[in-house]
Amino acid sequence: MSAKSPVNITRRHLLGTALGGAAFLAAGRSFAAGKTLNVLSHKVHQTVLGTGDGDLLKDWRSANDADITWSTFDSNPLQDRLFREASLNATEFNVGFMVDNRPTSQIAAMFEPLDDYLKKEPIEAFDDIAPGLVQGMTVDGKLIGIPVRHATQGLFYNEALLEEQGITAPPKTLEELVEQAQKLTFTSKNGTRVTGMVLASDLAVFPVMFARAFGGDFLTKKFELVPDPAAMEKGLTVLRNMFESGALPRSYATTKNDDQVTWLQQGRAAFTVLPFARFAQLNNPEQSKFPGKIKAIEFPVSAALQGKTPMASVVEAWGMVIPANSRDKDLSWKFIREVSSKRVTLGMANNGNGPVRVSTYKDKSFADKNPVAAVEAAALANARGAFPPFPEAARAQSIFLEEVQLAVLGRKPVNEAVASISSRIKPLLPPA
Amino acid sequence: MKTIAQAVPFLAPVQILILSVIVIPSLYVVWLSLNASTFGQSPTFVGLDNYVRTLTDPAFLHALWNTVLIVVFAVHLELALGLAMALLFASGLPFRRILLVAVLAPYAVSEVIAVAMWRFLFDPDVGPVTIALASLGLPTLDWSFEPSHALVMIGLLTIWLHLPFTFIILYAARLAIPKDLYEAARIDGATAFDAFRRVTMPLLGPAIVVALLFRYIFAFRIFSEVWLMTQGGPARSTEVVAVYLYQEAFRFNAFGTAAATAWIMVVASLLLAAGYVFLLRKQVVGNAH
Repeated sequence: MSAKSPVNITRRHLLGTALGGAAFLAAGRSFAAGKTLNVLSHKVHQTVLGTGDGDLLKDWRSANDADITWSTFDSNPLQDRLFREASLNATEFNVGFMVDNRPTSQIAAMFEPLDDYLKKEPIEAFDDIAPGLVQGMTVDGKLIGIPVRHATQGLFYNEALLEEQGITAPPKTLEELVEQAQKLTFTSKNGTRVTGMVLASDLAVFPVMFARAFGGDFLTKKFELVPDPAAMEKGLTVLRNMFESGALPRSYATTKNDDQVTWLQQGRAAFTVLPFARFAQLNNPEQSKFPGKIKAIEFPVSAALQGKTPMASVVEAWGMVIPANSRDKDLSWKFIREVSSKRVTLGMANNGNGPVRVSTYKDKSFADKNPVAAVEAAALANARGAFPPFPEAARAQSIFLEEVQLAVLGRKPVNEAVASISSRIKPLLPPA
Repeated sequence: MKTIAQAVPFLAPVQILILSVIVIPSLYVVWLSLNASTFGQSPTFVGLDNYVRTLTDPAFLHALWNTVLIVVFAVHLELALGLAMALLFASGLPFRRILLVAVLAPYAVSEVIAVAMWRFLFDPDVGPVTIALASLGLPTLDWSFEPSHALVMIGLLTIWLHLPFTFIILYAARLAIPKDLYEAARIDGATAFDAFRRVTMPLLGPAIVVALLFRYIFAFRIFSEVWLMTQGGPARSTEVVAVYLYQEAFRFNAFGTAAATAWIMVVASLLLAAGYVFLLRKQVVGNAH
């Protein structure tokens, strides 16, 4: 038996290997791109830009000798990180994605005004980008973000479940929707317990949609708080009655946005309210038990408003911003220009992004590929945000949701909850 | 003097570490708590206003009440269970090693996974546990609707997650008790209960105090169980202090009130555990003599 170890590593070998490895790694860097653009976004913003052969920024990368490094977060943590980075002396992040209900005057001041960049190196057909979305990214007269994505809410329904219950057409009014949702609270022929409608309780979007269906609102652009309390009461009463009758699930208070998707895909709910961009995911054969059977329409108004007032669906838009403390802002602008181009906007739309350009909806290839393109365009025409940005917006939304939950779960009379929304949120609004 | 000077370079890394990760951040949080501050706005000195605001906010007081409820019930119930299990294991259980692994397993599970698992098991519509309880005619936990049920659910989850910690401390302490003492007690005519009261409990005392003290502090900062299970809902009814702090800091971006909440949390948890700290100190001093 030899005393020599079969793995004979000497200090010289170890040192040599370490040095050689370091040299190899250093050489590797020389093959990489010369510049790196750090982007802070939601995962969906990265996904819609495609990968591999479908990478929409492939040519941009080689033309600018730049790599893109994505750091992705869920919506709220993303905004928190973006503002934290922008409030430092310097940040490594070149571009961030901001949602349109966040830029207050103080927040906007942390980002680069883009008007001069736009003049110097214009974005292709900038007028084609929906003016309402551009306005949402304009604060104190300065353009601080370029719209890149919108999520307009629509009413999704499971056609197979409707047929099973003998319903031949989706609802045309809110009253019909409630009636159908109650009829669709049943046990389906395959044994699944179906709930008429599933909604998340932690987003202001849904109660706002129900209030708007009666001509009401939560908070207007002019900071009118609950401008029509009777309409808000009607909207919340509908939700309360649906919960009481079981047409909203018992777990309403703990239901999240992702649950809405899985419940619809599994046939556990017949209706939900989600952005139109979710259409492909809901009908994805790998995930959904009802591929091709989940359809979308505009959220209906109440019978009294039908034909008189169009439904103002809730829209949330995202814009690309450049932190004022970031480096290489010219490269950031080049990235923003490319992502905002007609070609990339169309490509992203085909990958499930809500397109911000009017022309995208007119593109035949997009319309052919996306069965809800026309209805989404129609809904977008009248859509507006759930509430405008102001410093205490997040706290106001939290109070609103707390009162809505109390009303829907039956812990507080609806009229008292609506009165509380007004009295508790009023002190938080910016002075007139 | 020369000895101290020589020791300084050796002690410095520890002092620097404590200074940089505990003392300086703590002082920064004190400073932050005396200012109104948010993103894009320079901090403005407001004195004790953030403390007054927090202590008079009904949402904070409700969160504090929920936290105290969870701490008092969950920690003591967990201690009773941990003690019972430690005594059971020490009495010579068959398949002890396998059972030990089973008892310790929850400590190896990530809190996020644990909550996801419990949410599924207790889902009010399709959860296997809910269905099993209902089919046996037993009451189910309506945790997504009833705040008291949600608090019970959070309490059970936190006990399940942290029981291994309490158990292992008590089990180790029980194994350290010499067998001779039990033999002597038996010869003196002590029953099993007498031996438990006169031998086991007094000797387990220090371990019980340590376990309680640590669990009080850990339980007071309970966050993930609540956040992932109910997010403090419905209508903020199951919110605990750590969730309140998170909302203030990361949802409302009110860093002043969040910092004040953090200091109130420290003081409240110390007050709650003060009795046990006093007992521990008494034991340490007693042992030193």
